[in-house]
Amino acid sequence: MKTRKLAAVAGMVSLAVFAAACSSDSSTSTDGGGSTTNNGVPLTGAGSTFAAPIYTQWGKDFNAVESGAQVNYQAIGSGGGVDAITKQTADFGASDAPLQADALAALPAETVQIPTVLGGIAIAYNLPGLTAPLNLDGATAADIFLGKITTWDDPAIAALNSGVSLPSTTIRPVHRSDDSGSTFVFTSYLASQSPSFKKTVGADSTVQWPSGAAGKDGSDGVAGYLVQTEGAVGYISYDYAVANNLGSAAVMASDGSFIAPSVDSISAAGADLAFPIGPETNVLNSKAAGAYPITTTTYVIVYVAQADQAKGQTLVDFLHWGLTKGQETAASLNYAPLPSDIATQALAALATLTYNGQPMTPSAGA
Amino acid sequence: MAVAVADRRPLATGLSRSRWMKDRVFSAFLLLCAALALVPLVVIAMFVVVRGVSALNINFFTKLPPGPLDPPHTGGIANAIVGTGMIIGLAVVLSVPLGIATAIYLSEYGRGRIATVVRFTANTLLATPSIIAGLVVAATVVTWTHSFSAYAASLAISILMWPVVTRATEEVLRLVPQELREGALALGLPRWKVVVKIVIPTAGSGILTGVMLAVSRGLGETAAILLTALGNSYMNTSYGRPTASITLDIYSWARQPQPVLQELAWGAALTLMTTVLVLSIAARVVSIRRQRRLA
Amino acid sequence: MVGITLTTGILLVGVLALVLAVLAKGGAPTFSRFGLGFLTSSHWDPPHQQFGALPFVFGTLLTSFVALVLSVPVAVGLAILLNEPISAKITGPLATFIDVLAAIPSVVFGLVGLFVIAPWMERNIEPLLHSIFGWIPVVGKLFPALSRSASGHVVGAGGDYFVAGVVLSIMILPIVTAISREVVATVPRDLREAAKALGATRYETIRMAVLPYSAQGIAGAAFLGLGRALGETIAVSMVIGGGASLGASLYAPGQSIASAIASQFNGATNQLQRSSLLALGVILVALSFGLAALSKMFVSRGARRMESAIEAG
Repeated sequence: MKTRKLAAVAGMVSLAVFAAACSSDSSTSTDGGGSTTNNGVPLTGAGSTFAAPIYTQWGKDFNAVESGAQVNYQAIGSGGGVDAITKQTADFGASDAPLQADALAALPAETVQIPTVLGGIAIAYNLPGLTAPLNLDGATAADIFLGKITTWDDPAIAALNSGVSLPSTTIRPVHRSDDSGSTFVFTSYLASQSPSFKKTVGADSTVQWPSGAAGKDGSDGVAGYLVQTEGAVGYISYDYAVANNLGSAAVMASDGSFIAPSVDSISAAGADLAFPIGPETNVLNSKAAGAYPITTTTYVIVYVAQADQAKGQTLVDFLHWGLTKGQETAASLNYAPLPSDIATQALAALATLTYNGQPMTPSAGA
Repeated sequence: MAVAVADRRPLATGLSRSRWMKDRVFSAFLLLCAALALVPLVVIAMFVVVRGVSALNINFFTKLPPGPLDPPHTGGIANAIVGTGMIIGLAVVLSVPLGIATAIYLSEYGRGRIATVVRFTANTLLATPSIIAGLVVAATVVTWTHSFSAYAASLAISILMWPVVTRATEEVLRLVPQELREGALALGLPRWKVVVKIVIPTAGSGILTGVMLAVSRGLGETAAILLTALGNSYMNTSYGRPTASITLDIYSWARQPQPVLQELAWGAALTLMTTVLVLSIAARVVSIRRQRRLA
Repeated sequence: MVGITLTTGILLVGVLALVLAVLAKGGAPTFSRFGLGFLTSSHWDPPHQQFGALPFVFGTLLTSFVALVLSVPVAVGLAILLNEPISAKITGPLATFIDVLAAIPSVVFGLVGLFVIAPWMERNIEPLLHSIFGWIPVVGKLFPALSRSASGHVVGAGGDYFVAGVVLSIMILPIVTAISREVVATVPRDLREAAKALGATRYETIRMAVLPYSAQGIAGAAFLGLGRALGETIAVSMVIGGGASLGASLYAPGQSIASAIASQFNGATNQLQRSSLLALGVILVALSFGLAALSKMFVSRGARRMESAIEAG
């Protein structure tokens, strides 16, 4: 009887070993540009679901460049990313919103926020009949999410979309139920466009949305709801909207024209990014021509003074690679690469990382 | 012997129409209950099999999860299988010996207040929601070590498995006839030898059943792992690092809109459910065979 | 041997003490700050340090209540059925099926719930219940009209309290049935046979001889099922809809205590939020343990009552 138990445990262990031996990396690596002089060590990153696809792809591609570097990115929401880096349970945090005063105060040591790519927050909807993007302005969008506009054929929406036949379907708004940088960006946008939104709901990474609206965890959760629910509307990163064939609204810019999110329109807004990154930093409502109004940079948060040399070196190599060669992948995933002068400033921010007081430089080839 | 219930024909036995009707309605209700008990299981099994089977191929068991740009049917849950094995493996190593030892204490040695407290504790811990176990380990181990890890997940699951093993083992130990113990003691065997050489071997397969049921429960765990192991898209064999698990993968992929990932979720669900069912059925078979042997 | 086993027993007690201590210590700041207001306020606003647990407590209680209402009658019916003198070829497999249902992992329930049960219910059952109950003055508000798309199809919403309640009822059915079955099995043969000898139908036998004596034990089974339903996390998270505020009807999306902890703990950015989630854990644990104790009390009280009834009769 005891031997049977032993056999069962041994069986499980050998199965595990067998599976480990058989597994192989299934990354389809795009050309990462050869390999570096550093072998790399596993890293853990946590945070934004908005940016998850790009960091996951970068992780796979970078693994081909430094074979020991396994960047394990877990998308638990921007708030989770800030928490993880604060508690040092992750090597880097990822957030779509810049660190706010209270988060900065909670950090045990100095950090630097490095923008990595630009992304757009799409107002995504599920309306099968529409062929062209729906036009919306900030005030109307705010009213939709406040629950004041309840059907798609409401006069306020119709006024912005002359000639389009709108269905009478009920509008079903969905929001993020976890701590989210996307919420921060979107509510900041709505608050800037609608005084009543600013007063009733406000701008933050979690807000109290009006009752009756569904809430989901993660951009993926929201996208899932949108895909399944006709008449639903929500805010997700543009790449999720494209990947799931959801409509994205064309948002009215400051000059009155309606701009739909695209790699180009998102890219145009990026020029506004100003260093150093502070709690108020944003690229919303960009006045640049053809710029999408609800654009955001997404940041990686790392400690300036790295505690572990191998991890620190791998981290520096990874981020350097991402800010240079990794920018090419951005467009294929529907993010926009950083404008070159912004990328240069980001690299300068990366160069401030130190180990034992000595600045760390990327390994050759990263 | 049971007396036959009233004959079908109401008037033949002098039964009033209304009494007969009530009885028939009641019988129909009982049958409805049986049907209602079966329908969910059939529906679940059907959907999991139908939607999961298309995901299963050799890649599914040997490759890592796909990235956003990967084509369908190239990715898999190899790392989750290893991760689950690691987490449950350590949980078994921790909770089974402890669980059996506690059961031995309660059944063979425990008298008085201490035993009452221990038994009360076991019953209470049995009712612990799994999220609480995860929450407690996350608030302590994960926070103190600054790391999500496989062993933290194992600790959380051990908290849940321990009372299950204890309860099942204690019941089986109690069934060992007192005469066996007394006979051995009368022959001069020390107490501990009686337990180790006589009681436990007699209870043997019953203990195995209890362990299998506890493992089956552990395999189905998600909430406890969510807060402790975080998850990992790569193969991980180190206990100190975040680890993937099959249940966690199902949970995250179910929320993803991409059909490729949803299909993987169904495939993982099929794999998990099959494993758990095989274990449960095996436990039942062992237990039935044991009943027959003892009878 | 005594020493070793006693030590493990004490270790077990230590584990329970640790669980309670961690929750209590973690939740203390929240309770001291908000007091009972934590339970009565629905204002959950982490960035502004406002925490009210009411929406989550409400969600937990409502879904568990629905689960009980749906599963207890079926469990009792099964318990009775499995104790009737029907061929073992039927009761055997039936009992096995119910045990198998118990073994299915929670996340699989969630998966099937999300992709199969929720859409089906939202499109078929919920409108049906609205047409049956919607007109009743107060109760009807629980079953409101559902929105339809332009083509007339009911719009699925990805989960709500009612769907969560139904999924929960399936999940707790095995445990409630198992205990109820044991309870009904202990009703002495003599009572049944006496009833039948007097000419009672099966229904009358059950109603007069079996149920009164099993009532307390069945209540105990129900309490245990309720305890399990309260603590269920993953399946509920996947089908409850994720609404931030207190839902207005059964068809509203919401959250439960467990689903709130699961979705927010990893991302909790400030100390007070963490503490509030641990405080939620305290509430959950108090409810679960309390119900488990209540259940044991009722089951054993029922058994004792039966014993004394047999001795007296």
